[in-house]
Amino acid sequence: MFGVGGEVIWVNLTTGSIEKRPIDEDMVRKYLLGAGYLSRVLYDMIPVGTDPLGKDNVLGFATGLLTGSMFPQSSRHVIAALSPLTNIWGESHAAGFWGAELKLAGYDAIMFTGASSVPMYLHIEDAKVELLDASHLWGKDVFETDDMIRKTHGKRCRVLSIGQAGENLVRFAAIMNDRDRASARSGLGAVMGSKKLKAISVKGTGKIEVADPKNYLKRMDEFYERMLSNAFTPGRVKYGTTSLVELMQHIGRLPSYNMRQGVFEGYDKISGDAINEKYLVKARSDWSCLQRCGRYTAVRSGPYSFEGGAPEFETQSAMGSRCGNDNLESVLFGHHLANQYGIDTISLGGTISWAMEAWDEGLITAEDTGGIDLSWGNDDTIIKLTKMIALREGFGDILAEGSERAAQRIGRGTNKFVMTVKKQEIAGQEPRAQKSMGLAAVTAARGADHLYGFPVLDEAGFDEDIKKRFGEEYLPEMADRLNPKYKGIMVKECEDFMVMVESVGLCKYGTQIPPEFYYDDVALALKVHNGLDLTGADLQEIGERIVNLNRLFNARFGVTRKDDCLPDRLTKVKAPLGPSAGEVVELDQMLDEYYSVRGWDQVTGLPLKETLERLGLENDN
Amino acid sequence: MTQLKFVFGDPEICSGCMICANVCSMYYFKVISPTRSRVRVMRIEPALDFPLFCRNCKDAPCIDACPERALSRTSKGIVIVNNSKCNGTGMCVKACPYNAIHINPDTGKAIKCIQCGQCVDRCPADALFLTTDEDLANREDEGRMMELYEKHKEELYSKEEGF
Repeated sequence: MFGVGGEVIWVNLTTGSIEKRPIDEDMVRKYLLGAGYLSRVLYDMIPVGTDPLGKDNVLGFATGLLTGSMFPQSSRHVIAALSPLTNIWGESHAAGFWGAELKLAGYDAIMFTGASSVPMYLHIEDAKVELLDASHLWGKDVFETDDMIRKTHGKRCRVLSIGQAGENLVRFAAIMNDRDRASARSGLGAVMGSKKLKAISVKGTGKIEVADPKNYLKRMDEFYERMLSNAFTPGRVKYGTTSLVELMQHIGRLPSYNMRQGVFEGYDKISGDAINEKYLVKARSDWSCLQRCGRYTAVRSGPYSFEGGAPEFETQSAMGSRCGNDNLESVLFGHHLANQYGIDTISLGGTISWAMEAWDEGLITAEDTGGIDLSWGNDDTIIKLTKMIALREGFGDILAEGSERAAQRIGRGTNKFVMTVKKQEIAGQEPRAQKSMGLAAVTAARGADHLYGFPVLDEAGFDEDIKKRFGEEYLPEMADRLNPKYKGIMVKECEDFMVMVESVGLCKYGTQIPPEFYYDDVALALKVHNGLDLTGADLQEIGERIVNLNRLFNARFGVTRKDDCLPDRLTKVKAPLGPSAGEVVELDQMLDEYYSVRGWDQVTGLPLKETLERLGLENDN
Repeated sequence: MTQLKFVFGDPEICSGCMICANVCSMYYFKVISPTRSRVRVMRIEPALDFPLFCRNCKDAPCIDACPERALSRTSKGIVIVNNSKCNGTGMCVKACPYNAIHINPDTGKAIKCIQCGQCVDRCPADALFLTTDEDLANREDEGRMMELYEKHKEELYSKEEGF
């Protein structure tokens, strides 16, 4: 097959054995690579009863079929394991250069079984793959680790690692690559830490051979032209995702004060324009990226001085509005610190804001916190707690468990303020202001998540795309973010598409927002790059197969419809303020429609026999 | 000789996407491979991305360094490698002060930028331009860019293997 590394590295960290196996092309036709590949392999290897932080968990890293290609935004890799945060399917993705470098070294994926008793890192230089002692790296942060490994093995090395948060088994620790790219969600950094695997460094001096070299540049020129002339691209370059603060405030979807409300009076102080005015140094790209959403910022003086890759909308929301914090410098610095320690900023802000609301309600006091003042908007506290969580110091040790476990431990009714689905903190989409996001958060395989389905088609006037993808008969309801009708249909379609996108290694920018490239474009790219003859319909079915297999994985760990729920605040309490005031999430109605169009049982929420048969998964239940 | 052309990139505008490197290896060798590209992209923090091209030096030490006399300057002023003469001694690589010549590991021959402009046309950030010493001096920000290259020259031109 063209366009791939060709081999998967299997590392047993208990024995230290390293084995290379060719990729299975039959499996590629059913699951592609990336998220699909990991979904299949981990489903077959992780039985019920597995301890996510024990040696029996399996941790996989996979690139997609187009990772390292010249298709716009084709830099991504996927990481998966049983999640220590949710105890179900754990998956996370990042851009950067690490994935493309792995391809250039001749590999598509790396699978880790077992656990080491001493810190190790895996170093790959083309055919040479070795496990090396990492005792000198243990305890170092992400930037120090990057510096030290590249000093040893050369600047060309691309480094992926955990920081102190992963080492300390923080349940929402991230895995970082290329310094500031984060596979943040699902707490996979803690899985790496539990296996005493500090880093994976790669240097690949090989080449990626493509199926149609004669027409390759011409095809890519056509894709580039479309991406660059898309009306969204200039704004993406200018703001990255940071101007979403303004847009979300405008529709009442900016989580504020732990999701009490979807508007924040200080929004303009943490907005995209506020960042550009004073702090933006540069727009950055990852491999083959034409959108340049990466931000490089600097705070030049004061307690929050830093220079580095930051931020992203999710952090502005999580460490800003969600904590009632309008001190922008602390938000930027907080993001930078989270990169340095290797922490998911969404769960970090979600957990701190839970504690702040519990403090506000008088349920957590200075006695619990060791004297730290948890008042809304206390930026000093947010920064202090970020460090304390990463290092599991004092009150930070409790928060490092995530908001749901912390609430269980503290009790006193603080669980009422936990804003999670399946123990993972809900991301920056106040779902009462966009119903599809509420549904997507509960159906996502990795617990609360906006990216598994990323149903943004009802967000900003994509009526034409809805018409194209679904048909005119679904308008105007499907395009109306407050109307629950047809959202089950939309979320199902978006999930199938997005897991397929994660399996080929593309970004959600350019495929889902803006919705420039769709199934047929990906099919064409797979033909030109990999020589695969798959139709758009084939790709849709593969996406559906992966979603169903993820659901079966979660069913193994006890998930049913009863777990597909939102906090009462979002389904029972009307949004108090702003443009979406008076709204609640009509979750049951949307779920009924979703299960029905998925071919899942209405009572259990699990795939029906005929659905599994249709997707070739009948032997997997 | 002030009209010698070369491709130059603004390290404060370049976003590091590697598209120039991949365009180059695809255009000339029909593969995606930064190691087989005539341009190298190096990221140096804070916030700089350097695309490294042949500077088309007036005195072109690479030409004199080659024991096989495989390098020469064309009438248009482009320094080219004659593949039938080149046997990959690497002397030109050593002689180049800008780390802009490399040996293609597949062919064993030296490769360097010949100012074809394929990457310039496709740079999504418009960070690359075809220029001359005179033109570069006339650009008002010439001092800024050159200063950055100068400041980081040790790292940029260190000729680390694989870069």
